[in-house]
Amino acid sequence: MVSIVSRRGFPVARPLTSGALIVVVCITGCSAPATAQRGTPAATATIPDLSGGWLLLDAEGSGSFDGTAQRFPPAELTATGKAMVVRGDGRNVTPNGGNTAPHQAGEAYIVNNGACTAEGTGGSGIDPNSTAIFLLQSKDEVLLVREGPGGRRIHMDGRGHPDLAKLAPNMYGHSIGHYEGSALVVDTVALPEGAVQGGGRRRPETRLTERFQLAPDGKHLTITYTWDDPMLYVRPHIYQHSFERLPEGSYAFETWCDSNDPLQRQSVVPPKQ
Amino acid sequence: MSHAKIGVVLLAVTATAWSVASFAQGRTTSSPDISGYWELPLDGRHVPSARLTPRVTQAVLQAQAKADAKAIRWCNWVGMPTTMDVGRPLDIRQGTREIVILAESPVTPVRHLYLNRTTHISSDVFDATTSGDSIARWDGDTLVVDTTGFEPTHGVTAIPGGGFRTATSHLVERYRLLKNGTMLSVTFTWTDPAVFAMPHSYEFRYQRLEGGYEARPYARCDPFDAERATFLERAR
Repeated sequence: MVSIVSRRGFPVARPLTSGALIVVVCITGCSAPATAQRGTPAATATIPDLSGGWLLLDAEGSGSFDGTAQRFPPAELTATGKAMVVRGDGRNVTPNGGNTAPHQAGEAYIVNNGACTAEGTGGSGIDPNSTAIFLLQSKDEVLLVREGPGGRRIHMDGRGHPDLAKLAPNMYGHSIGHYEGSALVVDTVALPEGAVQGGGRRRPETRLTERFQLAPDGKHLTITYTWDDPMLYVRPHIYQHSFERLPEGSYAFETWCDSNDPLQRQSVVPPKQ
Repeated sequence: MSHAKIGVVLLAVTATAWSVASFAQGRTTSSPDISGYWELPLDGRHVPSARLTPRVTQAVLQAQAKADAKAIRWCNWVGMPTTMDVGRPLDIRQGTREIVILAESPVTPVRHLYLNRTTHISSDVFDATTSGDSIARWDGDTLVVDTTGFEPTHGVTAIPGGGFRTATSHLVERYRLLKNGTMLSVTFTWTDPAVFAMPHSYEFRYQRLEGGYEARPYARCDPFDAERATFLERAR
């Protein structure tokens, strides 16, 4: 966010009180590109600068992959939600089918089937893992990309969701967004059936609302996830992830993957003690 | 406060609001905006034959083609220059720090064209990638993108017109809007003493897709699909 300050360091809003109406009119007339984003004209000057790289903070998870998620309030599922069978994409072989028993020294843990997919190299950015997310704001669209192929397109041009019956569920779903003050609010449907952090579930009809809130320092970001689906949840399932902005000059890596490489399937190889 | 002073402040507020809105929307006020969805039509390619060095023999080219086929077979990330021609639209988004190019494909890494630096990441620290390290600047109405740091063995390395990318490849792209912004011309110029006898240039002209375009979910590339594997290996 940018505050408007006079040369002497005083906020110019105060002396302009008497002319506030004129200012609003002027901003309205001069900010046409931003109004396409469904923000109110007065909010155009507070569009947050979210563009850049963001790294997930794992302040309470002891660095484990799911440590942060373990402190989320558990999802309150309906009987249907509890009965829903969650199927993976077939790539991950743990915990269903993978051998997670303690291994001997030199015996690698095989954790996936080796297939190179966007899911396996950072995923969609919903419930992100330890690789960075990169945001880019443009007039009609906000992109959220990772360090592999694919990315989320968040439409900012005022369109609605297509008819779900005509939309194939996919790992990115269909997202539309708008700004609310210093937050980007994103509404997503059409995600495939699957698991949600904190013991949740999702299906194509499940509505995910994400609120990207920039901290006043501009260097921290929180994303609040709200999963809502009366068929699956007793009440909306809400949790939050925190991020830290990558330093200026940072750049995206490329997460290389080769399905033909046996090493692609394995994780830790316990060393000799 | 006098009317004159109010006027000055109003102008400042107006300019700031415009600037902030443009910034957050990923635009600068002085450069064209190439953001949008762009499709490469059948008649959008002008690709002369490359003049290769004598060291690039038929055997070298065959080995390279075999490696490319293997990369496709195993769903490897294809990288440049294939990212710019995958048969599906490109989503190009322009910000103030960078421009991002996202292709509708499960095997094309995202391209980041950095506007906020003028030199490449040192090769001492940069891990070569299939997309390389791209820095970009505006030269009038033309976006000039300079890329080095290519990985020579990963992905699909073939270059349209002949040749392939190596660790010593240097690519310069020039992006320019044509026909009132409905067309995007991209001229690619590759130089590489290991491959080209002279700089190799070709041009793609993309058509802007209509507003409201929806990117289509793509089918996952499955390296363990036996029927697909047989089909691809039969074609070698």
